[in-house]
Amino acid sequence: MKKRKFIFFMLLPTFLLILFIIFYPTISGVLLSFKNYSLFNFKNIEWIGFDNFKEIFSDPFYGNIIWNTVKWVVFSVFFQLILGFILALLMKEPFKGRGIYAGFVFYPWAISGFAIGLSWSWLLNGQFGVINDILMKIGFINEGINFLSDPSLAMFSVILVNVWYGIPFFAIMILASLQTVPDSLYDAAEIDGAGYFTKLFHITIPYIKPTLINTILLRTIWIMNFPDIIYGMTRGGPAGSTEILSVKMINTVFYESDYSKAAAHGVVIVSILFIYTIMYLRLTSKQEFSL
Amino acid sequence: MKKKTFKSIIRIILLIIFFVFAIFPLYWIILTSLKPTHELYSFPIRYWTNNPSLYGYKKLFEFVNFQRYFLNSIIVSLSASFVSTIFAMLSGYILSRGEFKWKYPIILFLFFSQMIPTYLIMVPQYTMFLKLNLINKLASLIIIYSGFGAAFSTIMAKGFFDRIPRSIEEAALIDGCNEVQSLFKITLPLMVPGLSAILSFSFVNNWNELFTAVMFLNTSDKYTVPVGLYSIVSKAGVQWNVLAAGIVIALLPTIIVFAFAQKYIISGLTQGSLKD
Repeated sequence: MKKRKFIFFMLLPTFLLILFIIFYPTISGVLLSFKNYSLFNFKNIEWIGFDNFKEIFSDPFYGNIIWNTVKWVVFSVFFQLILGFILALLMKEPFKGRGIYAGFVFYPWAISGFAIGLSWSWLLNGQFGVINDILMKIGFINEGINFLSDPSLAMFSVILVNVWYGIPFFAIMILASLQTVPDSLYDAAEIDGAGYFTKLFHITIPYIKPTLINTILLRTIWIMNFPDIIYGMTRGGPAGSTEILSVKMINTVFYESDYSKAAAHGVVIVSILFIYTIMYLRLTSKQEFSL
Repeated sequence: MKKKTFKSIIRIILLIIFFVFAIFPLYWIILTSLKPTHELYSFPIRYWTNNPSLYGYKKLFEFVNFQRYFLNSIIVSLSASFVSTIFAMLSGYILSRGEFKWKYPIILFLFFSQMIPTYLIMVPQYTMFLKLNLINKLASLIIIYSGFGAAFSTIMAKGFFDRIPRSIEEAALIDGCNEVQSLFKITLPLMVPGLSAILSFSFVNNWNELFTAVMFLNTSDKYTVPVGLYSIVSKAGVQWNVLAAGIVIALLPTIIVFAFAQKYIISGLTQGSLKD
């Protein structure tokens, strides 16, 4: 009996805080999306049903925003995964100075997304940007590219930066799980004459599959909820070409000050994530998902 | 033998490419922050500067109240990280050592709380804190960041506690310590690397948070560093060496913390999310 009390009091502070800071606001956020609370309507807040959602979905650009979000998430996760995997494989065998090397290649992950966005908007600047200069020097292009002001290139640019930012996370997670693959598996395969890629696809990847499944799920959720880089680079522009759902929601709060409509955007995002998570876990549950 | 050297050359080349790709943007921002204004927009683009200038930094501290933002960020990030780490230490310990019915639902609950986007709950949080008269106060950010931090830090803390063998505590109990004594005298000292990893991880997260801070802080004496950067960008006609100086100052604390704690952060992160 005394022990149960002990457990209860050890968990209490954390849970009160999370309930107060995360769960209660989540519920009121969902309720808010059915009301008409905005900067222009503080007093007479009423229940207006699905009006906010109707308004969101009737936005002619909404299809475009969804499509942008899909591109943003799919391409970012895909390239972060592939490049992070390659980096982890390169770092698997110990070499002199590996710890210091890790510090340098992993640091982008410690920086604020907004600062990364700002920095890269300078690097990718159409006139004074160093990336254009380098591309011209190696003879790749003849004249400066407007990475951020050209609507057909802006999405490519923000994804590039997000990939840069996200490689370390995948590399860290994969590197850690690569260390757990028993050497005996490789030794046995080598006796059978297996080459590098045979070992990779038949031993390494199956062995670390649970980590891959976990990390992809976590990253997909985080990237979908991550407006910081886009905010530092384009704020959704030019002409809405980099506007994804989370950016749209932030803009609805900061520029339109329509808090209920913003909450409705949030509810749409959470619903998509929820459905995605359930489907993902169903599809991968046979693959021994371990949380 | 020949094949092996070929492979290791490829490996070295790829490692160098990753290194350059990671480090170049940082180099460029530091260089920009040290360039005198006339070199910023000159052709051909200069990859080095012979007359480094602190103009960008000077302007930053004169033009906007950047030292104030820095101090605010330190106060908010440090206090919130300490609070969430202490909370996480308690709950992580119980989730690692305790045996009770609700253990796994609680761990799941902690994971799900990670999935809720900060900006969905930003507005309801704002209304809540408005009622508590805590708007435009650093305290509001400290409370919110502690809450977000506590969830993830608990998961990390559990991972670290799981690595400390239970037998050490049992030995202490046999030697006549009670449970609280064994926690403080035996387990916690072994948790020092873990706790510093958790603390640094939360610090990095708190230091970088932008949108809640923009929403909650509305006078410039209360701004944190990211909000300060945000407000500089909104002002037209800022020179890039000044902005780059701001970015460097904003990166500095997290890079230092990360450099010292990366080994622990990385092991804590992978422990926390791979296994329960």
